[in-house]
Amino acid sequence: MKVTLWGTRGSLATPGPETARYGGNTSCVGVVGREGTLLVLDAGTGIRRLAATLDASQRRIDILLTHLHMDHIQGLGFFAPLYRPDVDVHIWGPASTKLSLRERLMRYLSPPLFPVSMRELPCAITLHEVPCAEVEIGEFRVSNALVCHPGPTVGYRIVEAGGSVLTYLPDHEPALSALAFPSLPREWTSGGTLAAEADLLIHDSQYSAHEYLGHVGWGHSSLRQTLDFASLSGVKHVVPFHHDPSHSDADLDRLIGEAIAGAKPACRVTPGLEGTTFDI
Amino acid sequence: MSASKSIQIILARQLASSIATPILLVDPSGTLVYYNEPAEAIFNQRFDETGEMTAAEWTALIAAVDDDRNPLPPDHRPMMRVLTERCPVSQTMWTRSSDGEWRHLRITAFPLIGEKDVLFGAMSIFWEIEGPS
Repeated sequence: MKVTLWGTRGSLATPGPETARYGGNTSCVGVVGREGTLLVLDAGTGIRRLAATLDASQRRIDILLTHLHMDHIQGLGFFAPLYRPDVDVHIWGPASTKLSLRERLMRYLSPPLFPVSMRELPCAITLHEVPCAEVEIGEFRVSNALVCHPGPTVGYRIVEAGGSVLTYLPDHEPALSALAFPSLPREWTSGGTLAAEADLLIHDSQYSAHEYLGHVGWGHSSLRQTLDFASLSGVKHVVPFHHDPSHSDADLDRLIGEAIAGAKPACRVTPGLEGTTFDI
Repeated sequence: MSASKSIQIILARQLASSIATPILLVDPSGTLVYYNEPAEAIFNQRFDETGEMTAAEWTALIAAVDDDRNPLPPDHRPMMRVLTERCPVSQTMWTRSSDGEWRHLRITAFPLIGEKDVLFGAMSIFWEIEGPS
């Protein structure tokens, strides 16, 4: 599968010269399988650029939302295929205990927050609520599970026929589910089973270790925790992702370097830069 | 290796491990997946030593009788009732573990039910009732 990072920023779109290399768009990752199946992981502002690369012959698109915080859905209304009547768009995302996925999405895709209502969109939209049992989407098998982050939030494990595994945990605070992290085995760690032995893990790394201490419970990880989680999960390659809006390119170079030096992870680490493509 | 745990069970364990009151945590089948340090006195064994125990295993470790000293079969105990009735249960009972000591306990157990009415397990909390046995 080919995995492209279209938005790597967390919380808030952060354009500007100081963030040009890591990118300012919020979470969005495109996954294309060998047979052409397209998965879009989250609909942050990066989804607009992804749409510009799509072939007109693309008839089905699956958008897998981890949760409905604004930085993960803000680009949805600007995703060009939603305005094409010949496209089937399947949106996967969590309901809440009281509201369906449709009702939750409608809160954004309706006035006054957005001028177009979901029911007015020309494409054919099918909604799927997660967490759910493992599903097959084209050549992918996709499993999901709730993970530690405020509000209903899932992570995804995507397995391509042939065995390549991608795990996507863009907003995740596994340290909150362990008194000392990492101390418990992976089956007792939030997201541990989703990430087990993955070929590529895209994981929340919003904070420095020092910043994390002031944000415990906010649902995000420090860079060091991300690397420790990757080691615990036995992944082969980890991509720190969901960068804090206050971190410039220079800050991220330094913080990631320091975290790698401290954690000495066994796996490969590639900083999450917008536009990067991985072939796994 | 034990089976992977839902986030509801993971967070329940985290809560229990930071509480000074005895707490047991079971999965939907009744397997005891965790008990905290204060609860170790009830079993007279440490969780690190026993690990997870099936319902048959852990209920056999504890003799239980009601306030009239009638034996309580496993499916009449609060934790197992919660799993079948899917609603909170509060009751008093006497228990005895391998140390031979009878304890008079007030137990409150409640189910952990998630979205779409999925049962993830149950949690019970124990208070020892002061008084002669």
